Amino acid sequence: MKFRAKIVDAACLNHFTRVSNMIAKLAKTCTLRISPRHLNFILSDKVASGGVSMWCELEQENFFNEFQMEGVSAENNAIYLELTSENLSRALKTAQNARALKIKLTNKHFPCLTVSIELLSVSSSSRIVTHDIPIKVIPRKLWKDLQEPTVPDCDVSIYLPVLKTMKSVVERMKNISNHLTEMLHLQIIEANRNGDLNLKIESELVCVTTHFKDLGNPPFASENASQDRNPARMAEVHVDIRKFLQFLSGQQVNPTKAICNIVRNKVVHFDLLHEDVSLQYFIPALS
Amino acid sequence: MLKCGMNGSQVKVFGKAVQALSRISDELWLDPSEKGLALRSVNSCRSAYGCVLFSPLFFQHYQWSTSVEMNDNNRISNLNCKLGIKSILPIFRCLNSLERNVENCKIFTRSDKCKVIFQFFCRHGIKRTHNVCFQESQPLQVIFEKNTCSNTLMIQPRVLAEAIVLFTSNQEEVTLAVTPLNACIKSSNEESMDLTNSVYSEMFVGPDEFDFFQIGVDTEITFCFKELKGMLTFSEAIRAPISIHFDIPGKPIGLSIDDMLLEANFVLATLADEPSRGSSPQSTCLSQKRKRSDVVCSNSKAGEKNSKVTEYVSGKAARKRLYPDETLTDISTLENCGSPTVKRVNRDITEVPESSVSDTEEVPGSPYLRKFACMFFGALSSDPREHFDNPFDNLATASDSEEDMNNGSYSTS
Repeated sequence: MKFRAKIVDAACLNHFTRVSNMIAKLAKTCTLRISPRHLNFILSDKVASGGVSMWCELEQENFFNEFQMEGVSAENNAIYLELTSENLSRALKTAQNARALKIKLTNKHFPCLTVSIELLSVSSSSRIVTHDIPIKVIPRKLWKDLQEPTVPDCDVSIYLPVLKTMKSVVERMKNISNHLTEMLHLQIIEANRNGDLNLKIESELVCVTTHFKDLGNPPFASENASQDRNPARMAEVHVDIRKFLQFLSGQQVNPTKAICNIVRNKVVHFDLLHEDVSLQYFIPALS
Repeated sequence: MLKCGMNGSQVKVFGKAVQALSRISDELWLDPSEKGLALRSVNSCRSAYGCVLFSPLFFQHYQWSTSVEMNDNNRISNLNCKLGIKSILPIFRCLNSLERNVENCKIFTRSDKCKVIFQFFCRHGIKRTHNVCFQESQPLQVIFEKNTCSNTLMIQPRVLAEAIVLFTSNQEEVTLAVTPLNACIKSSNEESMDLTNSVYSEMFVGPDEFDFFQIGVDTEITFCFKELKGMLTFSEAIRAPISIHFDIPGKPIGLSIDDMLLEANFVLATLADEPSRGSSPQSTCLSQKRKRSDVVCSNSKAGEKNSKVTEYVSGKAARKRLYPDETLTDISTLENCGSPTVKRVNRDITEVPESSVSDTEEVPGSPYLRKFACMFFGALSSDPREHFDNPFDNLATASDSEEDMNNGSYSTS
């Protein structure tokens, strides 16, 4: 197994750092999948993450000007590593004004992802910073749990409003729900095919709803479209508000494209595109 | 009796010094002398010491007078004022607004009561007075000969700050490794071996990034950098370069700022190498020899104690007094210190000749234990008799309790 990659472009480096920061906010521990054309940050829907799953994909060509990898074997040309997301984002934080960044898979006492940064300094000499991030290599038998999730047939698909606005609304709602109902931290997300999206919290005493209108629905053709002829009908899903808030907090920059797909009472699927990095995030419904 | 005055911007610098020292410990000594006003702080494990000395020129006016009639043998006595950091930090909060609003600040002591009074004369005729009670406690000072250190670096605080960013808050120790070609700041090896989840980071800095770079001996020293951060902020505030003096592992590292108006010194203990860990037998002998020579040193020194309060032991003593000596402390006391790395302390120097070999023993069952060397502390006492009676009483015990501090020989009684 081998992996070596290098970034020299400042814009690519900043973008990669932003992606890493986002992942650090979304998942404490995640899987990094390295394949010849892509890098993926994966969180599989285990009980530990509360059923939340994430699939983030970036095309390595858009970031690295040097990229060499050799997977486990010729047929299985991929590397799956488990790492603590924050370790990577912290290491990249020191690469603010770097001349070059190199990442490679190494084995120093234990397997590491070594991030090597060449910093520009005021004087002529450049400073070299190295971070050895400990990782765990995931054996091939566990790879099946870490595959790209299938996009479910959804009842409603809608474009999201500005995420920052959503986040501030959900934050306030979370405070109310904490105060009033200790047992459930429920957020109701509902949307219809008229471009309406509602975020609701309910308790015995109060019900708070925020309405977003005229958001627009992406065009899609599915069997559901013919079944449900009333476009105003809401499809709703009840999710844990904390997980929803965690997802929104991870988005530092407003994405290029943001779509929310709801499968009634099952799951909510967020499909985002940050420039050229795609992020899919699934939050299951609370039973 | 102390009486001094500052203006708004001087208050800001003073406040920054207090904040820097608050990182070291919860207690602060206010130690005025004719040389100026010194603020001193020592942590409970005796592994870190900070002192900021403001010269009389720093203040708008500075007056320090000792009341001679209090003492029967005309000796100069110290104020012996120890303040809780919790009492003093809130006074110097919001330094930027203090700088803007304070026109004049007076600090003075009252000879009859154990109080220090801080008075702020602010804009709009507002006068703020803080009466802070202090505990009578003789200040400790560390004895550290920075001029005899093999390695000296001078660096702008910004560069050091950029290096510190590399390390997470749960990595307490950093290692500084130097060769004549470059310097490297890296995560301590000891920690990364224990916790496989921690990131190991290192940064190489070339000699041209330093204002001064003189390496006498290639070395790698490890110390806690939490206390360092306070000093870093302080040096960034006064925009002065930091001088770093150090030697081999086990000997303390000294960081100092020398401005015309003030002098700041932070001395941190460094991890001593276990000789059985592969260092050459020659160095083991050297360290044992040094211990013995220290024993001799302190005996002779006791007889010639002078009454002048000095910041460091003067260069008279040809021998280096850097090697740590500490009175016997059992491990349970050390564990209470809160420093995760304080594992074991050298034995009482009275036992040194016999036990210098046993010092190199590893504690059974803990192969990774290393000695965390503590520094040699001397009390700021001007009474020669005190030292002569029992020269080893000067050594600070690594005890946390107040009673021990006050009952020890280094309090005036």
